[in-house]
Amino acid sequence: MTLQPEDFWSFSEWLMRPQSFLESALLQGIVLFVLAILLGLLVGYLVSAVRYGPSEGFYAVARAVRDLVRSDLPGTSARRIFALARLAYKEAIRRRVLVVVGLFVVGLLFAGWYLDPRSSDPARLYISFVLTATNYLILLLALFISTFSLPADIKSRTIYTIVTKPVRATEIVLGRMIGFVAVGTLMLVPMAIASYFFVTRGLRHDHEVVDIKDLGNGRFEGKLSYDQFHEHTFTMDPPAGPGEPALGITDSVRGHRHVVRKIDDQFVIGEPTGALRARIPSYGDLVFTDRSGNIDNKGIDVGNEKARGGYGASGISRLIGVSSEARRLEYGYMEGGTLGSAIYTFDNVTPARYPEEGGIPMEMSLRAFRTIKGDIVSGLNGTITMRNPDDPKIESNPITFVVQEYDVAEETLPRKIEGNDGNEVRELDLFDDLVSGDGRLEVVIRCVDRQQYLGTTVSAVYLRPAESSFAWNLAKSYISIWLQMVMVIAFGVMFSTFLSGPVALVATFACVLLGFMAEQVYDIRYHLDRGEDMGGGPIESLVRMVRQDAMTTELDVDAVAGKIIKTVDAAIVYSLDAVATSLPNLPKMLGTAEYAASGYDIFNSLLARHAVATFGYVILAFLIGYFFLKTREIAA
Amino acid sequence: MPVASDTTAVAEAPDVAPASSPQSDVVIETRNLSKIYRDFWGRRKVAALKSLDIEVRKGEIFGLLGPNGSGKSTTIKLILGLLFPTSGRVLVFDQDATETRKNERIGYLPEESYLYKFLTTDETLDFYGRLFDLSGAERKRRIDELVNLVGLQGARHRQLREYSKGMTRRVGLAQALINDPDLILLDEPTTGLDPIGTRDMKDLILSLRDQGKTILLCSHQLSDVQDVCDRVAILHQGELKELGKVSELLKVQDVTEVHARGLSDAAKTEIAEVIRRHGGTVESIDNPTTTMEDLFLNIVRESERRPGARRVSAGEGTNEKVAAESEGKS
Repeated sequence: MTLQPEDFWSFSEWLMRPQSFLESALLQGIVLFVLAILLGLLVGYLVSAVRYGPSEGFYAVARAVRDLVRSDLPGTSARRIFALARLAYKEAIRRRVLVVVGLFVVGLLFAGWYLDPRSSDPARLYISFVLTATNYLILLLALFISTFSLPADIKSRTIYTIVTKPVRATEIVLGRMIGFVAVGTLMLVPMAIASYFFVTRGLRHDHEVVDIKDLGNGRFEGKLSYDQFHEHTFTMDPPAGPGEPALGITDSVRGHRHVVRKIDDQFVIGEPTGALRARIPSYGDLVFTDRSGNIDNKGIDVGNEKARGGYGASGISRLIGVSSEARRLEYGYMEGGTLGSAIYTFDNVTPARYPEEGGIPMEMSLRAFRTIKGDIVSGLNGTITMRNPDDPKIESNPITFVVQEYDVAEETLPRKIEGNDGNEVRELDLFDDLVSGDGRLEVVIRCVDRQQYLGTTVSAVYLRPAESSFAWNLAKSYISIWLQMVMVIAFGVMFSTFLSGPVALVATFACVLLGFMAEQVYDIRYHLDRGEDMGGGPIESLVRMVRQDAMTTELDVDAVAGKIIKTVDAAIVYSLDAVATSLPNLPKMLGTAEYAASGYDIFNSLLARHAVATFGYVILAFLIGYFFLKTREIAA
Repeated sequence: MPVASDTTAVAEAPDVAPASSPQSDVVIETRNLSKIYRDFWGRRKVAALKSLDIEVRKGEIFGLLGPNGSGKSTTIKLILGLLFPTSGRVLVFDQDATETRKNERIGYLPEESYLYKFLTTDETLDFYGRLFDLSGAERKRRIDELVNLVGLQGARHRQLREYSKGMTRRVGLAQALINDPDLILLDEPTTGLDPIGTRDMKDLILSLRDQGKTILLCSHQLSDVQDVCDRVAILHQGELKELGKVSELLKVQDVTEVHARGLSDAAKTEIAEVIRRHGGTVESIDNPTTTMEDLFLNIVRESERRPGARRVSAGEGTNEKVAAESEGKS
């Protein structure tokens, strides 16, 4: 799992962006609200002006605004909202949407057959399977229940009996939203519980001891049977004291180990451990140095690193062209055997936070890039050096390691290590000598092999002060799914206040889709800004397709036509860009599943950010829905 | 013994809506109300209502009459705020028709009972009660009362999808009354009801009026309108054609009606003679026929008293007997 810089932002950093307010979520939210309201008023005015004439149209719009503030918002009653919510809930339940939960559970029962049992990381496979399945299923359901209900009521005219009661448009919109959220929650909770058991049960398995070697002094070495397409070896130490069982642990295969106990000459194999984790990482700041040792912020792009880097959340600053950054690198690389290095600075490195006696647990998922074949069997070699950020002369001796690609390598930064304190070489204490007075520690990673490159990114190296519970982490993933569901329901209800069911469905779906496609839209915009020929906007690419022209050549049409095509394309692309920027970033929310699948604790701040964003969009959808319903002739 | 009477069936209702009622008694007022339906592009499709001016006063039963497409339903929808007027205004309780708060005093029975089929009677009424922000105890009291009133005691816990049309209609009526409204709008109140239901509905409308409520109904069942309405407005092609008290509109000024019982043929001839002597013209002296409604209701009532096959003696003055019974009752 690779995190982007914005993923590390704390809640307040995300909301305010202290250094660059233009990128802040708060500003984006405010602009979105203001624009939506202005646009709503304008469209409302135009429609009623066409219907009732310019002055009467103005009064109609003004009346809607006045009613909202003066009577509809203050007059909104919790009891009516609750009654309408309960109605929406009952409607969905009596239409048997809960059958879907049953289908999901039945699906899970059989899913085990189809999940590759030979996978090298079964935990990841299982977790991402259940999360992805529930996520899409719930979003799809949210889409259907939220978009069809209100138009069906209007079509069957049951709405007549509602709006002729003292019911406000606010209450109808809110009641629907709350009712459907209740239905969705009722479906999501059993799905989450079923998923938890599916994952924990699905990964449970057993081995038998097939081979045992007595090493003397109560020490054993053994091998476990080949079950579930893998086997383990283990070593066992003598008991810690009389009356206690001898304990051993297997090697880690497919992300898990087993504890082996020796009770009365019988070897008892425990359940797999370590497969389901929720590591709480402590990330540092990263800078690279180039081959001459000069500071470089990005590292080397060895190719194709930008494809996955993304544009990140730069708020409206990108939209209005203040920042026009390209996609960022996913991994930056350092050159081996030179002064090139990656320097991490970790904060808050204190004995209280890392009480382990052996040292500070550090984990790395580095990538290797070979320019020469070298010794293909063994991995690349790297070193870790600890340094005091206040006085870089105080430096530990390098710890060497072999890069394990596609795996999280667990290292330990030892408490005591030989090193140079600036004057002499002696044994340094990690906390006393290498950590600065304010608790910072520098960790320098280098590649040893010449002409080979080692890649890293901020989230690839971290200290691990703690571990959270897997169940809670899975719950947080489901909270994220729940938030996405709330978002889709809000949009669905909003669209259903003025569109017919199927059209509202398509509109909501288009919003979700455009949210997912945002980065691609940004790409086109980026190339357009830079004047690069990369196929152009929608019309230009259509022309190129029909004419079978290459993507990067000059557009081969006559000058006037070319100008028209480019102008129209620019208009389309810039509007799409604006729309995509203003839509909820669902892929980011969907991405939290990746945290759980990779075994990382989902940041609470990330969840808080998603929750606040969802809440903002719900309010926006509510206001828009209100205006449409209020100004709509129900019986027309 | 001959009983002379100048009353018609309509005149059962007392005149409660004097023509000179004060302005504050006006419950619904439409001023120059017009509605033009437009298509999606704003093009004019049909003028459903043209410059309608009516006033409905407190405590009267006002009927909107007219053939299909005459603008009755449009008027009701405009009054309820379901449609917005193209020009002109509707005032209900002196408030604009689009004002939500007026709905607190209104009960509305739509043309067909547009209710949620997946709810039971109790749930339906509870739901609508909540929409009026009624407290739990109040809702329970009203629901018990209304279920008894419309006679659905046995079916309270069944979903409406299982109901017959008449039963759904009753639930519709009950939901219209859940808030004890001052103004009740009934759109085709008797469609889908059997004769007993129709009679019950008419009796109910009259008793609601007697409780001081104002009722606006629209119908093309002319007999219903005639039986219950105090005043009617007749619409045709969106225009108001006639407006006035039913008793006055229907009264044939130069014809006198005499109802009598037990006269011999000789007596009838003598009466005709007397009329002629006074310069009148005898148009007919005949045995009256009863209405199909009365016949049906009497058969049903009789059957409830004496279950079993009814003995019919063909052409043996059945109608006379029924007419006598029905008169004895009224």
